[in-house]
Amino acid sequence: MILIQLQQVTKTYNQGQANEVRALRDVSLEIEANSLVCLKGASGSGKSTLLSIIGCIFPPTSGRAAIDGKQLSRLPDRFLTIHRRNTIGFIFQQFNVLPQLSVLDNITLPLLPLGVSPKKRKERAYVLMERLSLSHRANFPARQISGGEMQRVAIARALINDPPIILADEPTAHLDSKLSHDFMNIISGLKGLGKTIIIASHDPLITRHTAIEKVIDVKDGRIHVS
Amino acid sequence: MSFEKHLNILDYALQTFWRRKLKNVSVIIVFAAVIFLVASFQLTTSSLVKSARKSLARAPEIVVQKMSAGRQESIPLAYNKKMGAIFGIQIIVPRVWGYYFDEINGANYTVIGINPALMPMGRELDIVFEEGGHFPKPGEAALGSGILQSLALEGRQVFSMYRPDLTLKTFRIGGIFDSVTDFLTSDTLITTLEDGRDLFGLDEEKVTDFCVYVRNPNEIETIAKKISTALPDTRVVTRPQIEKTYKMVFSWRSGFASVCILTALTAFIIFAWDKASGLSPEERREIAILKILGWQTADILLMRFWEGLLVSILAFIAGYLGAFIHVVFFSAGFFRPVLVGWSVLIPDLTLVPDVTLSDMLLVLSFSVLPYLAATVIPAWRSSIISPDAAMH
Amino acid sequence: MIARPTHILAGALFILVLGVITLASLTGIKEDRLAGQTKIIDVVVAGLGLTDLCISTEARYTRHPAVSDPVVPFMDYPGSYEHFPTGSFWAPIIYFE
Repeated sequence: MILIQLQQVTKTYNQGQANEVRALRDVSLEIEANSLVCLKGASGSGKSTLLSIIGCIFPPTSGRAAIDGKQLSRLPDRFLTIHRRNTIGFIFQQFNVLPQLSVLDNITLPLLPLGVSPKKRKERAYVLMERLSLSHRANFPARQISGGEMQRVAIARALINDPPIILADEPTAHLDSKLSHDFMNIISGLKGLGKTIIIASHDPLITRHTAIEKVIDVKDGRIHVS
Repeated sequence: MSFEKHLNILDYALQTFWRRKLKNVSVIIVFAAVIFLVASFQLTTSSLVKSARKSLARAPEIVVQKMSAGRQESIPLAYNKKMGAIFGIQIIVPRVWGYYFDEINGANYTVIGINPALMPMGRELDIVFEEGGHFPKPGEAALGSGILQSLALEGRQVFSMYRPDLTLKTFRIGGIFDSVTDFLTSDTLITTLEDGRDLFGLDEEKVTDFCVYVRNPNEIETIAKKISTALPDTRVVTRPQIEKTYKMVFSWRSGFASVCILTALTAFIIFAWDKASGLSPEERREIAILKILGWQTADILLMRFWEGLLVSILAFIAGYLGAFIHVVFFSAGFFRPVLVGWSVLIPDLTLVPDVTLSDMLLVLSFSVLPYLAATVIPAWRSSIISPDAAMH
Repeated sequence: MIARPTHILAGALFILVLGVITLASLTGIKEDRLAGQTKIIDVVVAGLGLTDLCISTEARYTRHPAVSDPVVPFMDYPGSYEHFPTGSFWAPIIYFE
């Protein structure tokens, strides 16, 4: 089943201005549900932009983007946000965990604007923390945990809303090979739970991992599927 | 928006407030100081007006003074007869009062010469003096505590003052005013009508003013008009006018007070705008992360609003409570120099203001509302940060 | 177990309300004491015909604003002699006919 569909999508930053940048040019692709896909490309190739469009962060300049049959290209920001929080879980480069908040508070951040009570937030977070071996760090400030634990906090936060799609942007950029392996093990496990996972990376450890089903090369704003 | 969502966002705002406590506390301290200034002015003047209203409820119903070329001068006793013809007047009491300038101490004393037998409650005057004191007999004077201190008369029985021709007039101390009357009598010397006339060198046929009392208090204005008509060279002051004077005199919205307050408020609003406008890279990143995680622009705006409200409400509470304690328990010590000016005699004042909701709301609207207004645009600008700022 | 921030805020508000009640009680005690002195004040004001509070004794119009004519501030010196800060702190008296 096709979950994510892009048709002739372009994205231009600063359109019409002197510093205009065409980040994506006529990108068309389809991603099936419950697949593990890698967007491979160097810095500046457009893979983060492609990930942002799939992740409903901003709409394309032209073309059509749909997730699970829902057209997203012309949705106003408010509806994009609602769609994003119900559908997408993000794992960022450098994890973007808020250092002053506790591990528990970081993981439950996406649940606050949904009006989930503190008790329920804690219950849902502890289920994930148990699975990711983070329970003993629940009340620690995030700045006091290790790099590997921070990685797992980022994963738990991406999963807290139980979204069908997980997007990861250069998740292993600042990790050693052991942590990178650990990350891919967890991700493979998520695929087993029915998630659709897209990872943007140029790390060979990711791009050549056996769990990756499809690699999409991104270069100069265009793609090539291999 | 559900109630639980509001609580969640308030939780986050409180946590954020606590995380940036240094910045927030510095804003609160400055803001609270401005509110302290405004509220102290307001409470001080409101308690003075209240004190005047309560204490001067028994002031003379009508006071008659003679005017010449716009200036007050002594009034002939014969005016008594002219006023006596007006129907409705119960009694007319002549008085001598004026100011005595003590050159050595630079102090001004109020001197009143009066016949208490003619005054309302005049026969009870002995209770206003400390133990052993009585209304002065001829050759005696009763003093306020300020004069006692100024002339260093503790333990002494006799003192002298200069007449206009520089001869000395000697008084024996008949009594000292009870300290509870300080705010009315601290600088006051009371003596008989004749001794007062003697001290100021006034003719026997002259006094400084008349206290006029009427049978029906509802007739005060009518009779005051009749006196003005019968004696066109006089100035007639009624008790309602005296009350009105104090309401106007202590208007905190005028003059020096309002200039200080408005200047401080304006400076603070500019400061608040400046503080709210600058978002650090960490703050920008945090907002971008929240937006990627599903927080909408409205949620961010609500969070910033709660932060602003928390800062301003805390500052308001601290400032207003501080002002209340300052006025009630420290007698507005901060403002005494402004209130008393260059006076040498400084009486004790017990200030107990009426705290009304309308007054508090007025201070709130002068302080909290402008602060929220100054921070709303910076808050909106922060809430529209694009989420892709977190991607890089 | 870390308390919810809004619960801490509610607790702080509760303590504040208690503080305000205490302050109001202390003020009430002060006011009661003042009320007990009403008789002496009434007698001194009525018996002596007082018209003004004794706050600032530096000039006639600051000591007796209620019975000072409007020209008094000008009489202290040729030209208006301003008693700063009292003269500018206290609003000028406007007489209505």
